Amino acid sequence: MPDMDLSCTVNGRPVARRVAAHARLLDLLRDDLNLTGTKEGCGAGECGTCSVFVDGKLVKSCLMPAGRAEGAVIETVEGLAGRGPLTPVQKAFHKTGASQCGYCIPGMVMAATACLRQNPEADLDEIKERMGGNICRCTGYTKILEAVEIARDVIAGRADASVLDADETLGESYIGHNVRRIDAPAKVTGRLRYAADMKLVDMLQMQVLRSPHPHARIVRIDTAEAEAMPGVECVITADDVPGKDGFGVFVHDQPVMARGKVRHVGEAVAAVAAEDLVTARRAVAAIKVEYELLPGLYDPEDALKPGAPVIHDYAPDNVVKHIPLRKGDIAAGFAAADVILEHEFGTQQVEHAYLEPEAGIAFVDHDDVVTVHSPSQNITHHRHMLAEILGLPINKVRMVMSPVGGGFGGKEDMIYQGMLAIAAMKTMRPVQLNFTREESLVASAKRHPSRVAYKMGLTSDGRITAVKFEMLSDGGAYGMSSEGVMRKAAILSCGPYEIENLQVDTRAVYTNNTPSGAFRTFGGMQAQFATESMMDMAAERLGLDPFEIRRINMYRAGSLTHTQHRLDRASLDQVLDAAEAASRWETGVPSVRGALRGDLGGPDTRRPCTLGARLAGGPATAAATEAAE
Amino acid sequence: MLTCDAYHRPRTLAEALALWADAPEGSRLVSGATDIYPWARDGRAGDVHLPAMIDLSGIGELRGYGFGKGRLHLAAGTVYQDFLTDPVLRQNLPCMPHVAIWFADDQIREVATLAGNLVNASPVADGTPAVVALNGAIELARLEDGEIRRRTVEIEEFIHGPGRTAIRKGEIATQVTLDTCCGYGGAFQKVGQRRSLVISVACCAALVRTDPEGRTFEDVRLALGGVGPGPMRLREAERMLRGERVEPEAILRAAHGAADRVASRSRLDYRREVVVNFVRAALEEALANRPNRAAAHDQSKETMANA
Ligand SMILES: Cc1cc2nc3c(=O)[nH]c(=O)nc-3n(C[C@H](O)[C@H](O)[C@H](O)COP(=O)(O)OP(=O)(O)OC[C@H]3O[C@@H](n4cnc5c(N)ncnc54)[C@H](O)[C@@H]3O)c2cc1C
Repeated sequence: MPDMDLSCTVNGRPVARRVAAHARLLDLLRDDLNLTGTKEGCGAGECGTCSVFVDGKLVKSCLMPAGRAEGAVIETVEGLAGRGPLTPVQKAFHKTGASQCGYCIPGMVMAATACLRQNPEADLDEIKERMGGNICRCTGYTKILEAVEIARDVIAGRADASVLDADETLGESYIGHNVRRIDAPAKVTGRLRYAADMKLVDMLQMQVLRSPHPHARIVRIDTAEAEAMPGVECVITADDVPGKDGFGVFVHDQPVMARGKVRHVGEAVAAVAAEDLVTARRAVAAIKVEYELLPGLYDPEDALKPGAPVIHDYAPDNVVKHIPLRKGDIAAGFAAADVILEHEFGTQQVEHAYLEPEAGIAFVDHDDVVTVHSPSQNITHHRHMLAEILGLPINKVRMVMSPVGGGFGGKEDMIYQGMLAIAAMKTMRPVQLNFTREESLVASAKRHPSRVAYKMGLTSDGRITAVKFEMLSDGGAYGMSSEGVMRKAAILSCGPYEIENLQVDTRAVYTNNTPSGAFRTFGGMQAQFATESMMDMAAERLGLDPFEIRRINMYRAGSLTHTQHRLDRASLDQVLDAAEAASRWETGVPSVRGALRGDLGGPDTRRPCTLGARLAGGPATAAATEAAE
Repeated sequence: MLTCDAYHRPRTLAEALALWADAPEGSRLVSGATDIYPWARDGRAGDVHLPAMIDLSGIGELRGYGFGKGRLHLAAGTVYQDFLTDPVLRQNLPCMPHVAIWFADDQIREVATLAGNLVNASPVADGTPAVVALNGAIELARLEDGEIRRRTVEIEEFIHGPGRTAIRKGEIATQVTLDTCCGYGGAFQKVGQRRSLVISVACCAALVRTDPEGRTFEDVRLALGGVGPGPMRLREAERMLRGERVEPEAILRAAHGAADRVASRSRLDYRREVVVNFVRAALEEALANRPNRAAAHDQSKETMANA
């Protein structure tokens, strides 16, 4: 790689380095200067985890050529406080609990700092606007914005600096109190190291060849050219798995790398470990795979048709899991109903989009223990599966959970740790794999797209007499968490309502779509969307208030749940009371008031994003005019 | 991933032109790099290796702006954030601050150039309709026998289609010239998959000048983006409004006229629908944003505060 020499000032210190001609400022900071508080969340300027100041202006360092740093003054999150006390912005983030997973936080702190440097009087609208280039997936932004407003007031002298350190006095219990997160200082300063921020001596970089086809037989993989490239330390395929291949949260149907055939676009086919990222990518491009295309399944209904292509030999009917629930007698229940409602509901695939793309490191230690660091949401299970895959006793496999930069269920699947471990064993060197955002999107599990066919019988006074609930979910190419998700969807299917007669069936089937897996609510969301929509439609149909129909049917102490569990307590009545009060709900049938409703758009309602706070002629204009004079 | 054999950072235009003239086939000019980097990623161009990258951001001649013959000459290094922070640009290009505020985010705007936006020639670029409404032209420089030669091309002629422009081998864009529209009200409408930090599905730029009382339209400029392969100036709607009284009916007539015209060229029903609302909203907002009008507005606010 051709190099170039650069000198610049970083966090007040002169720096001179030789970097690759193509390096980005982000690479210079992270790889050459070890300033890993600056993260790479997308590499395309969208997410803001890489924000740094260059000559006083905040920019996204993933889109800035390193060559442009020549002579520049650069300030990163590490430079804000230096070795001194945290800045007011950092302290305010700590105080309000603005950092959760923490991966967006260095960038957020930088954006907040830039905002208050540009306009120390920025109001909430302007703060939102100026921080619009930074994405967070944990907080919903409320606590972040709260922090920036506190910091602004302290910096402007309107609030005493002591508010930043002040905490509510703790009463008898932690419950119901704001408690400081002990990891917040590490996050607001950028000091916390996630897997992609770790570096080991002599470490190799891994890149993965992924399938361009949704369903194809692998006829031949030719790795000779890749293996011959200087700097390539190993190329691995399914043939290199030493033990019993297969992982999954419930059924171990997924090979570490495609074995014999690929089942979805983006499935790992081979992996390369090389001296550097560029070599690894070039080697991946040099691997030749011959595929024989197979007919694919893209709709879960098609997967159940007779004669449908079979995706896994062990499941000739393409069913990953069917969970049936039966309670009472639905025929009798529907016969007793005054009205019967029937509707279908569909929900789409959803990506978790955690700010931290998958990343990991593996090495074999001095005692031959294969060690993997990764932001896994399920290390113990991963350890057990990996021991089988590697053919090692459990005491020779160690999984270390690195800080998770957002998971939401998406990091429960062991989709890359196996490749890392095998490459480390083959090379006896540490190996790192950092997914690109695009790779994370194609290779990681998604929320199950689901269809629910719903039939509900009710008496005219609002009592549910029977429910028939049939869910068909697209499990995608591998089982992952489908079984658990279907179980949870069945358990929660008809919501927190006592229904004497029900028949619930949830099914996940294999298709050649991106695998579905765990995602917050674990199947509950898809079911609740259907059930709560049914409740509102039933209220409309029967002329009842939506809260009322829920109170008529809700679980109480002594209720028998869908799975025939007798409840000794229930709190839905309190939840409904609280929700009704908080929403300032106007009692009545939902459909009859329309524009007359008075309970919409109240004080705590989020307004849609409107930009232009600083165009209206606020302080920014005044500052600009001053600057011009 | 973007890699290259050589990264050049020329300090003068002459140096840049010489490098560009000699650059091996496949080399690229770089301004803000906000189009180039995302382009070299999986799902788009994939890994790209360039023989040379010629970074124009260090060239003094490509910074700043000047006036001449009623036109504003913006050097090619002008970035979107300048339209928000520079009071002279805000005053003379009244639609540009509105374009800028909806364009990417503060951090991208610090480096993304108007010239790069034009040369990149995306059919959904936010800058092109506004530049077309401002009767924009682009100046292109090249080396000929060691001399810098320049030519100027109207933006409507410059953009041929998605990613295709009139720029020739060896040329570097050096300037964008625009009408000065001091006293006009400006507005920009944009719709995308989400509100903030998003690429447009369609957009619309408007400029409006009225008589001092705000009763008649003296001049109207309207242009759409995202409804065809290039930006579309709505000359008929402009003609319909010029000299008309400022009334909702006139605005609505113009909006429907514009939609009919677009309908014949755009394949997407959705975009067709959006145009009527866009043109109407853009005109209404441009009227509301007229500078004299804004002063009156401020006054009324003050009276309210005193009351
Ligand atoms: C997160 C994000 C959000 C974005 N949002 C928007 C948006 O809201 N609206 C929008 O319109 N665009 C948006 N973009 C696209 C991009 O920022 C703009 O098109 C920008 O104006 C490009 O300018 P640049 O200086 O970065 O161009 P570059 O990437 O440097 O160059 C773009 C092209 O122009 C050529 N070029 C650059 N300068 C010259 C020159 N002086 N002479 C000749 N050729 C030249 C380059 O070779 C290249 O082909 C966004 C991009 C990102 C990453």
